[in-house]
Amino acid sequence: MLALSISREIFAQLTANGIFRGASYGLIGAGFALILGVTGRFHFAYGFTYTLAAYLAYTLHFRGTPFGPFSNGFPFIISGIIAVLFVAMIGMGIEKFIYRPIVKRAGATALLAVFVAALGIGISGQSLVALLWGQQSQGFYDQGGIVKKDAWGIWKVTFENLDVFQFLTSTSLIIAFALVLKHTSLGRQLKATRVNPDLATIIGINADRIYLVCFGIGTLFVGVSAFWFGLQYTVSPDMGARPVMTAFVVAFMAGTASSPIRVFLTGIGVALIEQWSSMFIRTQWTQIAVFIILFIYLIAKSMNGTPLSRKIKHVVRLQGIRG
Amino acid sequence: MQIWINYLDQIMIYAALALSLNLLLGYAGQVSVAHAAFGAIGGYTMGYYVVNNNTNMVLTIALGAVIAFVVGGLIALVAMRLTVDYLILLTLAWGNVLLGVIGTMPALGATYGILNINIEPHSLKFFGLPLEKPSDWLLPIFIMLVVVYSICWRLGESAFGRVLKGIREDVVATQSLGKNTFHVQILVFAITSALAAVAGAYNAAWLGLSSPAGFGFTFSLTIFAIVIFGGMGNLRGTLIGAFVLTSLDPILRRVVKLEQDKAFLVQIMIYGVLLVVLMALRSQGILPEGRTIRSYLLRKNNDNRAEMVAVKDTVPTFVKRSSEAEVDQTARHLKWDNAEIILEARGLSKSFGGIVAAENLDFVLKKGTITALVGPNGAGKTTVFNLLTGAIRPDAGSVWLRGRDITGLTLDGSARVGLVRSFQDVRLFQRLTCLDNVLFGVQGQTGEKIRSLFITPGAVKRNDSASLDKAMEWLTFVGMQEFAHIPTGSLSYGQTKLISLARVLAAESEVILLDEPASGIDTKWVDSMLDLVLAISEQGRTVCIVEHNLRVVTQLADHAYFMELGRITAEGTVDELTSSPRLAQAYFGTE
Repeated sequence: MLALSISREIFAQLTANGIFRGASYGLIGAGFALILGVTGRFHFAYGFTYTLAAYLAYTLHFRGTPFGPFSNGFPFIISGIIAVLFVAMIGMGIEKFIYRPIVKRAGATALLAVFVAALGIGISGQSLVALLWGQQSQGFYDQGGIVKKDAWGIWKVTFENLDVFQFLTSTSLIIAFALVLKHTSLGRQLKATRVNPDLATIIGINADRIYLVCFGIGTLFVGVSAFWFGLQYTVSPDMGARPVMTAFVVAFMAGTASSPIRVFLTGIGVALIEQWSSMFIRTQWTQIAVFIILFIYLIAKSMNGTPLSRKIKHVVRLQGIRG
Repeated sequence: MQIWINYLDQIMIYAALALSLNLLLGYAGQVSVAHAAFGAIGGYTMGYYVVNNNTNMVLTIALGAVIAFVVGGLIALVAMRLTVDYLILLTLAWGNVLLGVIGTMPALGATYGILNINIEPHSLKFFGLPLEKPSDWLLPIFIMLVVVYSICWRLGESAFGRVLKGIREDVVATQSLGKNTFHVQILVFAITSALAAVAGAYNAAWLGLSSPAGFGFTFSLTIFAIVIFGGMGNLRGTLIGAFVLTSLDPILRRVVKLEQDKAFLVQIMIYGVLLVVLMALRSQGILPEGRTIRSYLLRKNNDNRAEMVAVKDTVPTFVKRSSEAEVDQTARHLKWDNAEIILEARGLSKSFGGIVAAENLDFVLKKGTITALVGPNGAGKTTVFNLLTGAIRPDAGSVWLRGRDITGLTLDGSARVGLVRSFQDVRLFQRLTCLDNVLFGVQGQTGEKIRSLFITPGAVKRNDSASLDKAMEWLTFVGMQEFAHIPTGSLSYGQTKLISLARVLAAESEVILLDEPASGIDTKWVDSMLDLVLAISEQGRTVCIVEHNLRVVTQLADHAYFMELGRITAEGTVDELTSSPRLAQAYFGTE
């Protein structure tokens, strides 16, 4: 009954919000899925690299270098690109200098050991950002005024131009990555390593290098996402928590071994559910809607193969036959 | 002074939470990054009833524990079927959902939480004693800590705890030795959740506040860091961890003189760095599993849990060398024909997708004999073991043990009725000692039952020492008694095969299923393995063996079934089977 009273405009607006936000969930999710799916590292410090990227772009643009031609700050787009590339290197450094040695030592319990270390990097990194830049959120915008926030609209749906830019960058990165996976030697090596790293090593693939590539690409994705997020809202030490947590959910629900396109679409799906749910439940609840979805998904997953799930499948199948 | 006593209160509360997490994480290997959320159940139950109904604090804490027990058990139902990465995600989601839901409920103070718990007219009392100053809290918190420690210690350092570690190392192997891992996993989740709720309630009562942020991710993380720092699977280490990590706050604020919010950030940063450094240098924590503070201070290994040491590869010697004896075919026929049937498979079938792994299998195992399943790779021999023991369910057909239909039994259920198997890939519990591994095999240990642990400790103690003797006996039987206190992870492959045999034998089951006991080991070991299997059979036990080594099979088996592509195509003595040109070709392939 409630649904009927909601106008088409609101529905269209929520759908647009969901698609824009979902593109960002999808991009972060695809990066996380790539890292977890190929390397098996539960990279909990992913949220920290997100925050760091936004802060770096912010600092490069507003402060620049201590001396030289950029002492008043780098041009806006340049600071974004430097920040994203730098963070990608941080991600690769974490893999090379922290995770890899830990895995070599831990053996059978590697997953837990890496998770604990990642948790450590994540929380100490976030605290460090708060100590260096302060806990207040900071406004991030183009001083030069080239990239300016602007309200756009189609029919009765309004959004920002930045929404569109964010959506376009996310989509093109995902498509480019999907093409790389499909058509290049690197892509085939990535997929081979994901399926069986030992066998991949035997046929001459350098698994260590592939892992680094995964961390590079994954962190690049998260950095790009953070850049747009910071621009649309603000940068703050805990800005990484929510989007990255949602991206975890997206990556696991899509399956960490699935294609980036699928993860991306799952991201949009999750964001749409999140947005649409506000038509039926109070806004405080939409904050946790995504976790409730995940919870139900995990319960369903854990029931897979139990007598109850067989019974349900049986009933569904019977109904399918009758239908 | 009261400030320092307040810190002591805090250390003890955090220690209690961390102890319960250690039982779950360190012993049972179940990763939970939302342990404080269970604390929230206790904190909110206490806060709500104290503020609204002025109920006795101790009663409200007990109620919170009961609720958390049930909720924890339900979470376990989901958790036990997930891999570690999904489990981390589940606990993250669980913490977010619970605290998110609480944050939307006005009756629970929404995002602010329940405030002013410990003020007039509902000031808290502990059995009549007022709880106003930090020093008033010392006694109740200390009592709580002692209770939590005792429960965790009793559960962790007993036969029950050994099963927990078995679940951590290898669930299937644990089940194959007759342990009901389903019950144990649910119980350990439920109990640790209840303990967390108790400690969480104390935390809220002591603070006078129960809020979503207070029980949030940062709190869970602090508890998690304490356990990792102190050492997973070591309760004393957790006490040290709680002391060290909680003391950071007063050190930073009162010695380094940082402001409160800055001190908090630095503290979290230090936790994070500590976790990374620990994982890189000493992932087992300050006090590794099985070590005591004393042994640590004396820089000496505990004699019963040595750290991994290189072990020389020695072959046990046996008096009897029956494997060289001539094999008399007619005697074997006679023995087989006269023996009584103990296990019978009727029409067992199983297919995986389009692949038929077992098709309409009919066969029997007879008392006191050794039966071999032979056939080329992929014939479905291991599938037969899986079907017999209930590790996988047959699509059709039934299994009868002594005239009783045992088809529907689970892996652990069939082990308890007398059908125990070994694994081709050994599946020992690598971090546990040889003796502990063999102890897993011993059936009917009262120490695995929580009720007897707490109600009849004397009987449990007697039972424990009897089990220990029995395990030692079987360890000696396979000639590995010298290695009793060495973790199996440091043994040679041949030695692990012997330990795995001893572990199966310790179950003293009627029927023993051995999956390739002699594969992948040196010839010198094969003879000892042969002697051992013959000796078991001479004790009147029924053995079924899957083995590729034809010499082993010829020496041992009284009777053999030949399997090809999921079907039994011939039976007889091994010599009869191998003399058939067709079977030889099926087995060895064409020239």
